[in-house]
Amino acid sequence: MSSSTAAKQYKSLGDDVWKNKVEKINAELFTLTYGSLVVQLIKDYEDYAEVNKQLDKMGYNIGQRLIEDFLARSNIGRCTEFRETAEVISKVGFKMFLNITPNITNWTPDFKEFSLLLEENPLAEFVELPDDAVEGGLWYSNILCGVLRGALEMVQMQVEAHFITDTVRGDETTELRVKLIRFLEEEVPVGED
Amino acid sequence: MSIDINCIAVIGKQNNPLYIKNYSSSHPDLKYHYIAHTAIDVIEERVLNNPKLTDAYLGLLYAMEDLAVYGFMTNTRVKIILVIAVTDNVIKDADIKAIFTKVHSAYVSHVCNPFHNLDQDFVASKRFSNAVDHIGQQNSRATIDV
Repeated sequence: MSSSTAAKQYKSLGDDVWKNKVEKINAELFTLTYGSLVVQLIKDYEDYAEVNKQLDKMGYNIGQRLIEDFLARSNIGRCTEFRETAEVISKVGFKMFLNITPNITNWTPDFKEFSLLLEENPLAEFVELPDDAVEGGLWYSNILCGVLRGALEMVQMQVEAHFITDTVRGDETTELRVKLIRFLEEEVPVGED
Repeated sequence: MSIDINCIAVIGKQNNPLYIKNYSSSHPDLKYHYIAHTAIDVIEERVLNNPKLTDAYLGLLYAMEDLAVYGFMTNTRVKIILVIAVTDNVIKDADIKAIFTKVHSAYVSHVCNPFHNLDQDFVASKRFSNAVDHIGQQNSRATIDV
C-alpha cells in the first residue's frame, strides 16, 4: 500500500532528523519551564478559559515560526492531500520537536478531520492538575493546539485544533482533534492582533 | 527479604509533617506521630554533633519495644523516617537504603508538579500516596510469592 510505504518513509525521515539535525536540551528543564509558565498564567488571569486562550495564542506565534525551522531541517516537499499532512505532522513534526510520534486515528469519512493520540506528553511529565483546574476546564497542553494552527496556516491550511481528552485531567488517553477548515489559496493571511 | 514497614513519614525542612502513613494494624496513628517527632529530635542532635556528616542516609536512629526507626535527610533538610517492626532476621542496610531511595524519588516526582505549593503543609497528591503505599505494602506483611 502506497500510504504505508509513505508512512515508513516519513518515520525514518523523522528518526533521522531527530538523531542528526536537532539540538537537544534536558527534559526536566523543559517540563519545569512549561509548568511554571502555565501556573503563572493561571495566577495572572485567574480564569481557566482565558488561560486556554492565551496558551493557544502563544502556540500560534510559535507555530508560525516553527514551521520555517521544520521545513528547513526536514526538506519535505508539498503534501498532496490532508492525509499526508497528518502523517508528516505525527512522524516528522512531533518527532523532531518533542521526540514522540502520536497515533493518527478517527478519520472522518471525508478525511478532513483526524485525531492525534499522544501516548506520552513531555509537557505534562509529573503534572497533576488540582481539582478546580479540572472543573474549570483547563487544557494543560493547549499550546500544542496553537502550534498546529499557526504552523499549518503558514502552509496555506486553515485548521482548528482542540483537545478532547487529557490524561492530566484523569482521562484514559490524551486526544487532540484536528479539523481542516479550508485551503488558503492566493490569500494574504489575516494578521493576529 | 520481608521487612515489615510499619510507617513511612516525610517531614519538611521546618520540621512540619508533610506525609505520615501507618501500614501496621498493631499501633494507632498517633503513636507514629510521636515516633516521628522523637525521630526528628534524634536527627537534629546527630546533625549538631557531627557537622561533617555528608551522607543522606542516617541509619538506625533509635529503637524502642518492637520498633526500629531509620532516618534519611536530604540536603534541602527534608527528612524521611521509616519505622519497621523488629524481626529475627538481620536487616540489611542496603535494603533500607533502597526503600529510602524509592520514597525520595516519589517525593521528587511530586515536587516537580508545577501545581504543588511548596509552602503547603500536607502533601495531598494521590499519585504520591499511591507510590508510597506501593512501597509500604510491597515490603510489609505477606511476601508469600516465592
